[in-house]
Amino acid sequence: MHASQINGLPVVTVQGGEDVAEVRDVIYSPEAGHLVGLTLNKRGFLAGRRREVLPVAAIHAIGRDAVMVADESSLALPEDAPDDVAHPGADRNVVGDDVLTVGGVSLGTVRDLVLLVGSAGEVVGYEIEKAGGGRGYIPLPAQLAVSGSALVVPDITEEFVRDDLVGLGAAVDDFRARLGLR
Amino acid sequence: MDAMNWLVLVLIVLLLAALAFVVIRRRGRAGGVFATKPKP
Repeated sequence: MHASQINGLPVVTVQGGEDVAEVRDVIYSPEAGHLVGLTLNKRGFLAGRRREVLPVAAIHAIGRDAVMVADESSLALPEDAPDDVAHPGADRNVVGDDVLTVGGVSLGTVRDLVLLVGSAGEVVGYEIEKAGGGRGYIPLPAQLAVSGSALVVPDITEEFVRDDLVGLGAAVDDFRARLGLR
Repeated sequence: MDAMNWLVLVLIVLLLAALAFVVIRRRGRAGGVFATKPKP
């Protein structure tokens, strides 16, 4: 599943089935390799931003068609939520960032984030627009340097660029094993 | 310019203002994928 597929999804309560908000931003921690939360819009074509945010701990499930929460009290006010979720850095949108290896080789630009389906927002890789053209996937190491303009990955990442999601699934474990992370 | 021309002009301006409002509002709802800052 891609992170951009979460943008715009309705947030629905498990108890009552109420449609309480819509996902605006996806915020994730590259260091931890998982989502930390979501910011929200109000429902409706022209409705504005919703003040409350949704920390990952309050998410019941992220599905293909909706983000499920227990009830409306799962939404947290910014002052009660982790700072990373309440105040996401506007300069840290990673889509469009260059992907550079430590050795200075450009692998392409980030198009999207790849999440493990059925997990609590575990991020396993990036979808990239390859430098030579075409789409590719790279596995996400546990530790990664991310700014607002470039993503710096280990040199061996170049060996693990895959053309499809199936290939990425197999590459993640091999890649982390090579890095000594598992 | 007669009254009819003024009316058409005002309607066009109102239409453009409404269009600008909708575009700005929709763009304001657009989200992104943000990375957290590294912890020291």
